[in-house]
Amino acid sequence: MIQRLGLAIAFVVLALLTYPGADLLSLAVRLTPAPVTTYPAVQGSLAWLHVEHPSGRTPFIADDQGRMVLLHGAIPGGLIDFWSGADHSKTAAPPFYPVDPAAYAGGRCPANYAIVKVPPLCEKDIEEMAAMGFNSIRLALTWSLLEPERGHFNLQYFDRIAQVVGWAKAAGMYVILDMHQNAYSRFVGRSDPPPLPGGSPADMWDNSGAPAWATITDGFPSETYSGQRELNPAVLEAENNFWYNRDGIQAEYIATVAMLARRFKDDSTVVGYSLFNEPMPGWNLPPGFEDLLLFPFYRRVIDAVTGVSDGLPCLTQIFMPAVCGFPDAGVHDLRHLFFLDTGLLREVTDFPTHLGLPVSSYPNLALGIHPYTHGYTVDALVLHQTPDKATYPWGGYDQTYSLAEREARAIGAALFVTEFGNDPTWDPLILANELAEQEQHLVGSAFWTWKENCAVNGNSWGMFDPIDCKQDLTAPKPVSGCLRTTREEMLARVYPVASADPNLAYRYDAKTGAFILRATSRFGDPPTAVLVPPDVTGAVSVSGAVAGEAVVSESASGRTVTVYPAGGEFSIEVAAAPLRPAAAC
Amino acid sequence: MRDRSATRALVLGLLSLPFGLLSPFAIWSGSRSLSRIRSSGGALHGTARALVGLLAGLTGAVFLVAGVLYWLFVP
Repeated sequence: MIQRLGLAIAFVVLALLTYPGADLLSLAVRLTPAPVTTYPAVQGSLAWLHVEHPSGRTPFIADDQGRMVLLHGAIPGGLIDFWSGADHSKTAAPPFYPVDPAAYAGGRCPANYAIVKVPPLCEKDIEEMAAMGFNSIRLALTWSLLEPERGHFNLQYFDRIAQVVGWAKAAGMYVILDMHQNAYSRFVGRSDPPPLPGGSPADMWDNSGAPAWATITDGFPSETYSGQRELNPAVLEAENNFWYNRDGIQAEYIATVAMLARRFKDDSTVVGYSLFNEPMPGWNLPPGFEDLLLFPFYRRVIDAVTGVSDGLPCLTQIFMPAVCGFPDAGVHDLRHLFFLDTGLLREVTDFPTHLGLPVSSYPNLALGIHPYTHGYTVDALVLHQTPDKATYPWGGYDQTYSLAEREARAIGAALFVTEFGNDPTWDPLILANELAEQEQHLVGSAFWTWKENCAVNGNSWGMFDPIDCKQDLTAPKPVSGCLRTTREEMLARVYPVASADPNLAYRYDAKTGAFILRATSRFGDPPTAVLVPPDVTGAVSVSGAVAGEAVVSESASGRTVTVYPAGGEFSIEVAAAPLRPAAAC
Repeated sequence: MRDRSATRALVLGLLSLPFGLLSPFAIWSGSRSLSRIRSSGGALHGTARALVGLLAGLTGAVFLVAGVLYWLFVP
């Protein structure tokens, strides 16, 4: 009898802690009404963005008039706490660039050096981004700078973030605050020589993320395999400990995001929070990683920041199963978006690694994908094929986007490319195709990366050429090389900033500067706005059912063409014309 | 004597809760074990294990199928 009772209890407990419990909670989340939110207009501020949920199609990011908004942005790395130095044995270098906003005030910019991965982020960078027609920034941040000591936040770093957000606001650009990490942390150590066979000493150049106190490696060696920074036993163990909330570190992370949200709760320049960049599964495998660890973690952060309480009450300092929510942190931020990156292995497959289910009753969610097709997909990593001869993905560049739309609908989120980029050698192939897919799927994106000093392996991936990283490492360097012409042509592009028609179609030809948008609207719909960056010089024309002439306004970001629909089909065109080249370098 | 596949069914059934793809094996093991125990005339036991394994397998299968159907059709 006791044995039978024990078996029954084991069955019920295990069911609650795993898929049956997680699935039932998702069902409950789907049936829970969304919280009521207001978006007050503030004079001189950008409009609040939110996620619209139209019936039968993928949710989309929208403004206060309900217009679909396309965010076109870049990702600067200047606020990331990268490792720096010339001596790899010194693994715990202090933060390289000043955190104090005073060092950047009044147009000042600290000197750049080749011993760190990226140059500092300064006001001029934001102005340059705006001049290329970017309307948003994914601002990559680091937990190790937000909370360098457990329970103690570095408020100066929060001020520094606010400084950049202020620059963006002045330039009319939105900001996504990105809790960035790569290979978990730069404090995972470095085993030299590597004790395990086949490994190489970890190169700390790219690592960033968790502070030292939240990096629990349990003595696993820090050595990499196949040249991949993530394939490192110490990194995998540290990631694993985070997902299992060892020593309450996941709870600390959630408190950090809540602190960030508290600071920017009333700022409409901030679109929202990218909750965890490129989540690695640790030693776990999909789909269990995504369903039982990652997305429940996202739900907990949303619970804490918004107070929606979708998950069940649990202790927060021990392992929290999938059904566990998180206590309300008292922020009650009900206006920002949460960007939920898929698990890192989805980047490798360009294919869903789990069947997503509703995550939260909070409606402002965006699924973040990183389409690195032919960069980090299996054809490149495993088969070592070049992009022009790749035999995967079988569905081409479209595969990851088409499948991601379904994934986004399943979890009840908009779709957004939180990161994409490539080796510049392949711009005519990869970058051109990625941008074409983004146009076709009406999805916004953030380009990795704005500026990068130099790369350890292969080319740097920045918008600009790298600096000289071979000579005189201790001397100050320029913040970048020249703007890469191909990237400027392709990324300083014409695009619809906002439209009442979420089914519109548009196409930009980066070679000729020609653009066409076709949309359908009802009479009285809010206007459609198209941004023509300064590089594009062609004449604008409008035809079809529009009320009056197009209104063209000039700013540092170029021409904004505003068209008021009169009910019916209309089109907006920019004629082919020579592109205005960047300033000589 | 305890039927060995009753224990196998129990292990597979409990594992099929986090790993739904194991559920068909749990169902198969559990139902085979139950029928063997029934036809043994009392020589074999392990009914509780086989039954819990079968139930857990069925639960895993139901949630797996429901999840797939939701993903394919509901959104």
